[in-house]
Amino acid sequence: MKKSLTLLLTLIFVASAALTGCGSNNTETQANGSDKGTETKTEEPKKAEPFELKLRHTQVGDAKKNRFAILEEVVKTTQGENEGLTIKLDGVESDINRKEKLRGEMAAGDIPDIFDVFGSPDAKLYAGQGKMLDLTPILDELGIKDKFTGLGPFTLDGKVYGLPIGASAEGVFYNKEYFTAKGFKVPTTWAEWEKLLADVKADGKTPLAGASKAAWVPLMVTNQLWSRTAGPEFAKGFATGDAKWTDPTMVKAFAKHKEWVDKGYFKKGELGFEYAELQTQFVSGEAAMMFDGTWQSSIFKAGGIGEKMIGKVGFFNVPAIDGGQGDQTAMMQDTNNGYGFSAKVAEDPRKLAAVKSFIKNLYTEDMQIRGLVEDGVLPAMLVDKAKIDANVTDPLMKEIATVLAGTTSSFPAFDALVQADVNTTLSIEIQKLIGGQTTPEKLAEAVQKVQDEANGQ
Amino acid sequence: MMRNWKSSINHIILLAYMLVILYPFLFVIFSSLKADNVTIASNPFGFPTEFYWDNYVNAWVNAKISTYFWNSLYIALLCAVVSIFIGAMASFAITRMRYAKLSLFFFGLITVGMLIPNNSLMLPIYLLIRKMGILNTHMALIVPYIANAIPFTVIILAAFMRSLPGEIEEAAVVDGLRAPGIFARVVLPLTVPALVTVFIINFLGNWNEYLLANYFLSEDALRTLPVGMVGFRDAYQTNYAQMSAGIVFSVVPVMVIYAVLQEQIIEGLTAGGVKG
Amino acid sequence: MNKALRNPITYALFLLPALILFVMFFIYPTITAVYYSFTNWDGVSSTMKFIGFKNYTKALGDEAFWKSVLNNGYFIFFSCFIQVPLIILFSLLIANVKKLRGFYKTAVFMPSVMSTAVIGILWSFIYQPEIGLMNQVLGIFGIDPIYWLSEQKYAMWAILITNAWQWTGFYVVMVLAAILAIPKDLEEAASIDGATGVQRAFKITLPLIMPIVSVVIMLSIAGAMKAADIVLVMTKGGPAGSTDVMATYMIRYAITNFKYGFGNTIAVLIFIFTAIITLVYQLVLARRSERIEY
Repeated sequence: MKKSLTLLLTLIFVASAALTGCGSNNTETQANGSDKGTETKTEEPKKAEPFELKLRHTQVGDAKKNRFAILEEVVKTTQGENEGLTIKLDGVESDINRKEKLRGEMAAGDIPDIFDVFGSPDAKLYAGQGKMLDLTPILDELGIKDKFTGLGPFTLDGKVYGLPIGASAEGVFYNKEYFTAKGFKVPTTWAEWEKLLADVKADGKTPLAGASKAAWVPLMVTNQLWSRTAGPEFAKGFATGDAKWTDPTMVKAFAKHKEWVDKGYFKKGELGFEYAELQTQFVSGEAAMMFDGTWQSSIFKAGGIGEKMIGKVGFFNVPAIDGGQGDQTAMMQDTNNGYGFSAKVAEDPRKLAAVKSFIKNLYTEDMQIRGLVEDGVLPAMLVDKAKIDANVTDPLMKEIATVLAGTTSSFPAFDALVQADVNTTLSIEIQKLIGGQTTPEKLAEAVQKVQDEANGQ
Repeated sequence: MMRNWKSSINHIILLAYMLVILYPFLFVIFSSLKADNVTIASNPFGFPTEFYWDNYVNAWVNAKISTYFWNSLYIALLCAVVSIFIGAMASFAITRMRYAKLSLFFFGLITVGMLIPNNSLMLPIYLLIRKMGILNTHMALIVPYIANAIPFTVIILAAFMRSLPGEIEEAAVVDGLRAPGIFARVVLPLTVPALVTVFIINFLGNWNEYLLANYFLSEDALRTLPVGMVGFRDAYQTNYAQMSAGIVFSVVPVMVIYAVLQEQIIEGLTAGGVKG
Repeated sequence: MNKALRNPITYALFLLPALILFVMFFIYPTITAVYYSFTNWDGVSSTMKFIGFKNYTKALGDEAFWKSVLNNGYFIFFSCFIQVPLIILFSLLIANVKKLRGFYKTAVFMPSVMSTAVIGILWSFIYQPEIGLMNQVLGIFGIDPIYWLSEQKYAMWAILITNAWQWTGFYVVMVLAAILAIPKDLEEAASIDGATGVQRAFKITLPLIMPIVSVVIMLSIAGAMKAADIVLVMTKGGPAGSTDVMATYMIRYAITNFKYGFGNTIAVLIFIFTAIITLVYQLVLARRSERIEY
C-alpha cells in the first residue's frame, strides 16, 4: 500500500499544517517579487472598420418583452445609421445589474458602453468618479435638454450623466372582478383601507401579494407607509442628519407593516419568493391586491402573463392615514431609472457618434408614447397631452393617469436618498421584521446606527 | 437464510438512498413536460397526462444552453489539462531533481496555498485580472482556474512521484535520457493513475465554478453553464415547467458523458493510489 | 546520473510556470488583501485612507458577521457529524452487497458531476412551498407545508441538505474504494473467529479506513469554508442574512456597499479562520489516525 491515495491526501494536510508557521514568513519574502509578476497593460482597441458598442439592459424575461422589443428597434435603427457598428446586447436581471454587476464593473473599470443605471445615488457616485459620460453637450446639440420632466437624479454639478427611460409611480393594483363579486370598494379613508384588508383576509384570500426575497419589494410598502406617517419629505433628512429613522412617526410605519404581516395580510412565506412571484400571485387570483410600480401594468397587455386580466385590473393610491404628517396624497414617483454611458466612449469619435444617434433614436416623443402604450411606462419627457389621450386606450393606463392626476405631490424612493450601506442594512432589517426576528424600535435603531456612520464619512 | 435476510436489509436501505438521489431528477423531468405550475401542483409525482414539448423549445431559445454548455466544457477541459501538465512538471522538478533544499522550500510554499481559501481572494484577483486586461474574456477564467488547481495538483502528484523507486531513472540515464526525456518518457507514464485522479477532481471543480464566472464575465455569450442557468432562472423564475426543461437540458449532456465514462471516472478517481 | 537531474536551467523551466501562477494568484492577492484591509477604499475612487484596524474591529463587532461564521460552523458540523457517518454507512452497505453494486456506485456519484448552481436551482424548485417535491412528500405524512427558504429556522437546513445530497456520493466512492482494497484474508480470518458483520465493520474495516475518512473530513471542512455558490444560488444569504456564510457576507458588503477595504478585511479573516481550523484539526484529530499499517 505504498502509494495509497489516503496517505497522499493525509500528507497534504500534515504538510500544510506543519508549514502554517513559516507560511507567513514566506509570504513576506515574496512580496517584492510578486509586483514584477503583474504587468499593467492598458491598450486601446484598434480602430478597425467594424466597431462594437456593449449595451447592458435589464429587459429580460417574459414580463419585459415589450420593452425589449422597443430597445431592439432602437438598436437596429442606430446600427443602420452608423456604418460598421454592432451593438452587443447583454441582458441581466435588474436588481443584480444594479447591486452586483455594475458595482463590480465600476470598481474594475470595465464598464459597458451603454448601461441601465439608477440615477440617484448610483449614477451620481459613478459620475463623481469620472466613470460616466457627460451628456450635456449631446443634449444641447440634439436640442432635447428641456424635453425631460426630471433629470435631477442624473444631474451632478449642473451636468447631466444619464437619461431616464421613463417615469414610474407606486400604488395598489387590485382585482376588479373579485372586488365586484364581493362588493368591495376602493378605499378612500385609512379605516376603509384596513377594513378592506381584514375583509379580504376573512374571505380566505391573501389581501396583498408578497415576494420579499429581494428586500426592495416589501420596502416599497414600508416607504409608502412612512410617507404617510412621517410625511413625504421626511426621508430627505436622513443623509443630512436632520431626520432620524428612530423618529416615532417612522417607527409607527414599521409597526404598521409588521402588524399587517402578523395579521396575514401578505402572502405567507413571502421571504422565500422572488419578485416575479408577486405578479404570479396576483394574476392567479390568489392575492386580491398587489403593491407595485406602474411599470408592472405591462403584464396586463396582450401577450403578457396577466393577459387574461385585461380590463379587470384597477389601480388606487393608498388613502390618508389619521394623524399623518405632510401631504397625504403623495405617491412615490420618480424618473430614476434610465441609461448611462461610459466616459471612455468619448475617447473614440465613432463610438461617441453612435451614442449620440442612440440617444436621438431612443429619446423621442414617439418612443415615449410607444413605451406608454405598449409597455405602460410613464413618459419621462414632455409629451403633448392630446397625443397621449389619442393613443392611450388601455383602461388600466387611464386609471393610473387619473390616480396620478389626483395626487398633489410626490416623493422619490428612499434608496435614491440614502447611502448604499444604509439601504443594505434596512434591507436586512425589514426581512428580520417580516420574519419576526426584530421589533420596529430595534429596526429603527439598527438603521440609524449605520446612517450615523455613513453620514460621518 | 440469515444471510439473505441481511442482504435484503442492505438493499432496502440502499434503494431508499437511491430514491433520494434519483427521484429529484425524475420529478424535474416530469415537471418539464407539464403545462404550467397549476398542472404541476395538481399532479406533482405522476407522469404527465399531456406532453408539453413547448417548454423545451422555449427553454432552448431563451436560455442559450448550447452556448453555455460548450463554454463550460472547453474551459473546464482546457484548464484541467494545462494545470496537470504544469503541476506535473513542477512536481517532477521538486521530487526527482537533485535540489533537495530548494525543492523543500518551494513545496512548502505551494502547500500553504491549500490553506488559502481562494474564493475569499476574489476581490484582489478581480483587480489583478483587470490589470492584465483580460476581464470579460474567457482568459479571465482560464488563468485563475489553472492557478487555483496548482497547489492541490502539485501536492498529489509530488507525493505520487516521490513514491516511485529511484532505480527507474538510473536505467533511463544509462540510456542517455536527459531530464525532460526522463519526465516525458519515464515518470509521466508511471504517474498516469494519479494524473487521472487529479484531472477528474480539477475538471469537476472548474465545471462547477460559479463565483469567478459570475463576477468576471458579464457578456451573455461568454457565460458558463452555472452562471447562464442562474441568469435563466432569474429571468423566468416563476415558470417552473420551463425552468425544469432548462434544468433537463443542462443536466442531460453531463449525464450522457458520465454514463459513457462512469467506469473510467470512478476507477480513475480511486485508482490514483488506493489500488496501487 | 546526477548531471542529468541537476541542471539549474531545466529545474527552473520545470518549476517556473507553476511558481509564477502561484505567486500571481495566491501570494500577490493575499498581500493586496491584507493591504486593502487596512484602508477605507470604496473600490471606485482613486483615493483611499489608511484606517488601521478599524475594519477589523467593525467586522469582529458585527453580529451579522458572527452569524456568517456560525453558518460556516454549521456546514462543518453537518458534514462531520451527519454526513460522514452516513458516508461510512452507505460505503459499508455497498461493499457488502454483490448484486447491483455497480449500479449503486454509478448512481451515488451522479449528483457530484452536476454543477452546484444547477443543483441549487433544482433544489429551490424541490423546496418550493406549494408545488415543490419536498412539501408534497411531507404532505403524504400529514405534515403542513414548510416554507423552507422563507423561514430562518429552515433555510440553513435546506441548504445543508442540498449540499449533502450533492457531495455524499463523491465521498462514498472514495471510502468504498478504500474498503474494497482491504485484503480479503483479514476479513475471512475474522469471519472464522466468529465475528458478526457489525463487529467486523467496527473492529476491522473502520480502523483500516480511518485514514481516508480523515481525508474525507478534511475535504469536507475545506469545502465548508469555501461554500458560497450554493448559498448564493439558493437564498443569496437571506432571509435577513440568516444563511450568509463568510464568503457571501463579504460579497454583500464589499460589492453591494462599495466597501472594498472592508471586504478585504473579511477575506483576511476567512484566511485566518481557515488556518486555525486546519491547525486544530491536525493537532486534535489527525494525529490519532495517522497511519495504520496493514
